[in-house]
This record gives sequence, C-alpha cells and structure tokens, in this order.
Amino acid sequence: MIKHHPSDETLFRYANGSLESGPRIVVAVHVGACTACAERIAGFEALGGSLLHDIEPEDMEAGALDHVMAMIDTGEAGRGKAAPAQRLPRADVGIRLPEVLDDCGIGPWRWIGPGVRWSRVTLPDDDSANVMLLKVVAGRKLPEHTHAGYEYTHILKGAFSDARGRYGPGDLDEADDDVQHQPIVDKDGECICIAALEGQMKLSGFFGRLIQPLFGG
Amino acid sequence: MAVTIRDEGSLSAPEATRLMAAVAANRDRVAFAALFGFYAPRLKAFLKRSGMTPSAAEDVVQETMLLVWKKASYFDPARAGVSTWIFTIARNARIDRLRRESRPAVIAEAFDPSDQPDAPVSGEQAIIAVEREDRVREALDLLPREQADILKMSFFGEVTQSEIADAIGIPLGTVKSRVRLALGRLRQILDDLK
Repeated sequence: MIKHHPSDETLFRYANGSLESGPRIVVAVHVGACTACAERIAGFEALGGSLLHDIEPEDMEAGALDHVMAMIDTGEAGRGKAAPAQRLPRADVGIRLPEVLDDCGIGPWRWIGPGVRWSRVTLPDDDSANVMLLKVVAGRKLPEHTHAGYEYTHILKGAFSDARGRYGPGDLDEADDDVQHQPIVDKDGECICIAALEGQMKLSGFFGRLIQPLFGG
Repeated sequence: MAVTIRDEGSLSAPEATRLMAAVAANRDRVAFAALFGFYAPRLKAFLKRSGMTPSAAEDVVQETMLLVWKKASYFDPARAGVSTWIFTIARNARIDRLRRESRPAVIAEAFDPSDQPDAPVSGEQAIIAVEREDRVREALDLLPREQADILKMSFFGEVTQSEIADAIGIPLGTVKSRVRLALGRLRQILDDLK
C-alpha cells in the first residue's frame, strides 16, 4: 500500500517537462508502481493537450510539411540501419530494478559510511544528473540531517521511519530543506532506495556530504 | 510533390483519432498532412510560449511530427487523446533538444516514458481517456479566473513563478499558494471522473 506520493507540483512539472532529468527518473520509477500518480500525470498531460488544441496557431515556414515528408522518405529507406545504442555498464545490485531504469548505467555498491552503501545511476541522456541507489542495513539510525534543495527518494525495498511517518516499498519521499529528520531503517531488513538531488547545488545533506567527494565536488 | 498545408481551424477529437488510425494502419500521407496542418502551427505557438526561438520551435515541431509518423502505431486512444499524445511527444522532443544544446556530445534519445510497455487498459479507463481533455477544459472553466490563468502560465513555463509574481504584482508566496490551490482543485475534478 503506497502512502507517500510526489506532490501535485512535482507531478505537474513532470507533465509539463520542467522537472530535471534526475528527479524525473525517480518520479518515473514511482509512477511505474503507482496507478494513482499515473492517473494524475495523465490528467496534467491532458491539460497540456487541451492547451495545445486551443492555442492560437502560428504559421509554419513554407515547405515545412515537404521537409518532414522528405525526412519520412529517408527514414523509410534507411530503416533498420540505425546502430544499436551503446549499453551502459550495469552492476548486479542484488535486486530486480524497475524497467524504466533499463537503459541506465548502474555502478557497483560502494561503502560510504557505517552500514550505508551507494551506487551511481547514470542516465543514458544526461550523465550530469545526480541519481543514486542507497542501501542501508537493518536497524541503522542515520544522523539527524537536513537537505540541500530538494531530494526525491523512492523506496524499492525495505522501509524507514522518521517523525513524519513510515516509508515503505513504492513510497516516494519528497524532502526539501525544511525537512529535518533522523530516519531509522526497519529492524527486519535492509532498505534500498533510488534518490535524486535537484540541481547542481553544493551538497550539504547527510547523503550529500557523504557522496560529495564521489561527484568531485 | 508539394503538399499544401491547410490551416485547419478546427479538428474534432474523433476526427483526429480517425486520422491517427489511418496513419498507423495504412501509412496514409493525406491523413498525416491533415494532422500536420492542424497541429504543426499549434505546436509552434506552444513551443514559442515555452521560451523557444521561432527557428528552434520550427525544428522541434518538424521533429515532433516526424515522431508522430514513426510512432503512430503506439498511439492508443484508450490512453490519451491525440492532442495529449502529440503534446507529450513535443514535450519530450523539447527536453531532448534542450539537453543536446547544453551537452552536444550526448546523442542518445531522451528518456521517454511513452515507450514503456503499459499494463492493459480496462474498458472503464478507455472511456476516461477520451473524456479527459474535455474534463480538463471544464475544470479550467470552473476554477477562479486567477487560478486558471496562473496554471496556464505555469504550464507553458514561459515565465518563472517570481516573474508571474512581479507581473501581477503579488508576493511570490501568493503565486505558489495559488498554483497549489489550482492544482489541488484540478486534481479533485479529475479524480471525480473515477
């Protein structure tokens, strides 16, 4: 049962295309597991569709359709010749990852602190995005921390709790710098999350401080 | 052969769906030209409002319409109306372009959730998808004018929330809370569809 969802603003920004690629893929992971959010995004996308349908049109350049038709002809002739996209290396992280991550590179687990491991997720189209997998051992209490900017965390396995509630598989935690928390991972098993940081800000949150050297900051 | 672009003043949802089906099933170029005639000038206006230069918008429109042709078989009227589907393709093409501009070395295609396999659609969902664009229109009419306006301005992303605040002469916090209210109300109206 999913209890924590992305905010309406985040789903809206997903729908209008203004959400950065890192948070975007974390939200996509959530949406793949959450029909309620998929419905909401479909609603906001329909807003885009209706705005597109109703907008005052502007003339295209002369010959635009001919140009597209010519590209279609070229494409039809050259079909099947496209080289397959280069696959990014994928380490085995011990769990089956959601399909939306299929084209992403997945780094091996690296130790970044007692009971905490980290794996770099590389997006095929944007290698500058700050996306990572995090694995925390059962029962581990993380130091109290705040976040630098927005952090989007989707729980893939296990659960953690803090003063705001319990976050289990399928939940997405959207935390900004107002959130100060001290998460505790459930005693009965490790917790694995996918997380993204918004922007190229100086990382000062708990995870941020731990991983800053890895991003060369 | 030169194909004339008719600027179609209107295109009904069932007609657009029929044209898409003809493109998908028969690779029908006349149907495609009709879709181009309606959507290309609207996509151009839409992309310009999102902050693109006229020539960049022109490029992205052509790219989008090429993808409409290539991906026609993926269009599923049970999931989204034609306008919504074309909007999402243009959105992704725009993201792709902005990314290429900032990182010229990267040539991979943009991550595109519309390419992901979906769960089968129930009959009930199919009815909802057809109605969704109309319901959104009705919902916008039901919203207080200032909420609807801010929602539209935010959607295009033509201005930041701070710029909206300056333009209307209200504090940034008020813009943020209006957007939040408007989104909540819109969601409620859409949720009532279920």
